[in-house]
Amino acid sequence: MGNRAEEDYNFVFKVVLIGESGVGKTNLLSRFTRNEFSHDSRTTIGVEFSTRTVLLGTAAIKAQIWDTAGLERYRAITSAYYRGAVGALLVFDLTKHQTYAVVERWLKELYDHAEATIVVMLVGNKSDLSQAREVPTEEARMFAENNGLLFLETSALDSTNVELAFETVLKEIFAKVSKQRQGSARTSAITLGGTQAGQEPGAGEKRACCISL
Amino acid sequence: MAQALGEDLVQTSELQDDSSSLGSDSELSGPGPYRQADRYGFIGGSSAEPGPGHPPADLIRQREMKWVEMTSHWEKTMSRRYKKVKMQCRKGIPSALRARCWPLLCGAHVCQKNSPDTYKELAEAPGDPQWMETISRDLHRQFPLHEMFVSPQGHGQQGLLQVLKAYTLHRPEQGYCQAQGPVAAVLLMHLPPEEAFWCLVQICEVYLPGYYGPHMEAVQLDAQVFSALLRRLLPRVHKHLQQAGVGPLLYLPEWFLCLFARSLPFPTVLRVWDAFLSEGVKVLFRVGLTLVRLALGSAEQRLACPGLLETLGALRAIPPAQLQEEVFMSQVHSVALSEQDLQREVRAQLAQLPQSTSGPPPRPQARLPGAQAIFEAQQLAGVRGDTRPEVPRIVVQPPEEPRPPRRKPQTRGKTFHGLLTRARGPPIEGPPRSHRGSTSFLDTRF
Repeated sequence: MGNRAEEDYNFVFKVVLIGESGVGKTNLLSRFTRNEFSHDSRTTIGVEFSTRTVLLGTAAIKAQIWDTAGLERYRAITSAYYRGAVGALLVFDLTKHQTYAVVERWLKELYDHAEATIVVMLVGNKSDLSQAREVPTEEARMFAENNGLLFLETSALDSTNVELAFETVLKEIFAKVSKQRQGSARTSAITLGGTQAGQEPGAGEKRACCISL
Repeated sequence: MAQALGEDLVQTSELQDDSSSLGSDSELSGPGPYRQADRYGFIGGSSAEPGPGHPPADLIRQREMKWVEMTSHWEKTMSRRYKKVKMQCRKGIPSALRARCWPLLCGAHVCQKNSPDTYKELAEAPGDPQWMETISRDLHRQFPLHEMFVSPQGHGQQGLLQVLKAYTLHRPEQGYCQAQGPVAAVLLMHLPPEEAFWCLVQICEVYLPGYYGPHMEAVQLDAQVFSALLRRLLPRVHKHLQQAGVGPLLYLPEWFLCLFARSLPFPTVLRVWDAFLSEGVKVLFRVGLTLVRLALGSAEQRLACPGLLETLGALRAIPPAQLQEEVFMSQVHSVALSEQDLQREVRAQLAQLPQSTSGPPPRPQARLPGAQAIFEAQQLAGVRGDTRPEVPRIVVQPPEEPRPPRRKPQTRGKTFHGLLTRARGPPIEGPPRSHRGSTSFLDTRF
């Protein structure tokens, strides 16, 4: 087991942020990867991404976080966005019930495009605006439990639970990955979303390195 | 206004920087780079007064005079001297005249003339509450760093609200697309709301139909077209993008939907728009191809980007010096992609589109390739007495104009070293095609 430490580095986990326009996906991304927040970040058109490496035990995990436009019509062009994702944060704004009411639709969208075993966390964002709350914590927590989702309330503005949310998802992914690896004979480092030397994934082709969890 | 500006700025920096203190008068009005707006209105922007590489003042003066002359007889100019318009647009419309020229180029002035009461009615009508909520949520997120759009009650955000609302009422089946925000904002930086509205209509319906609607079907088609053009014109870059898993939908939508308003230095954006309003979507493809070449054209650059994230990052990290307007636009105009090339590729990709897509099929034939085609369509509509500002349903081959005979280059006693091929731009095949307009794809149907 002495050489295992080498193999535990170089994990890349692709995590996507999904949810209605305006719930705070872009600020969750910037808060987690750059510790930044802006009231006036631009509308996301197309795709944004950022990375951050975290340590889970002895493993260095590069979290590749993707962010895209929430408005319905972009869904036509964002299916490429889900490819290779092993984790997802489904974000709603807890001060706008409408953004929570459509969570099931987003879940369906997610499962239509991503692996069925993707790790999903339901995130109620903007917890700093407690007086304007429209979604009771218990209601959202119950929904998450009933649907096999993790759950947290966060505030990208004051940082509450942002680190915890991402870390929890990454830990969950890592646990699944480790379990799978213990069961398989492969010892090479598993990379998601990037190309390893010698691999030539064609466009639209399923890459050999994609893990099914 | 300046005071409000200062307060907004102080608040933002407080959130981000614990060490900033509440501003004293001198801090609020001090000349720190993050307080002043540049010549285009961007707070903290780096577009200083024109420096080296910008045309000298007397050249600008000359161009202004040319444009004043051309625009004072616009119909005559467009009927007989469109080539000159096209050339002048490529050189760049002088800033002082964009407000006059853009509505003329895109035909918005005709729309407005034909429907003088439409905008007023739309502006006064209540908007669909759903759209109003979505639009309002985005108002402060379109050009947050531009002084015109800083204040929620200012004419920038309010103008945006009015124009975008008007569009959702004008075309309820299209509704609102977030990318219309930056487009409308750039228009509003130059034009009053009514004219900005009609320019937006022209862009969304005539230049780029199928881009901003609920299915964005034309964006998907154009992404395929772009990929095919890459394969043909920049094959090594195309191969790299494929191997890295970078499909065009990962970078093209923001470019094309916003007409590069979010992706290039602002003076360059304006130059792209000058050419786009004149020559149509072909310009967007040329700009995209240029950007991809600048980011990944050399073997060293590709080697430095082994994976998807690095490759996407390279597309966003082109050094600003290479995007400076004169340097950049001369490369754009040298890309060996003619209107005919583009149309051919569009037809080929359309034929290959999978039938299974859920939305309506794209209709690239509804797309007019620039100011000349728009002028002719509007003239024809006027002759037929049809003055509604609709996208023409009958597309007609414009009448052939007698052309002066092409001057052949002096060839006596000279040896050729590829004089007829393009000397600049990507090393690709094809002598420059000289043709007037871009009419080959238009069918004649009566």
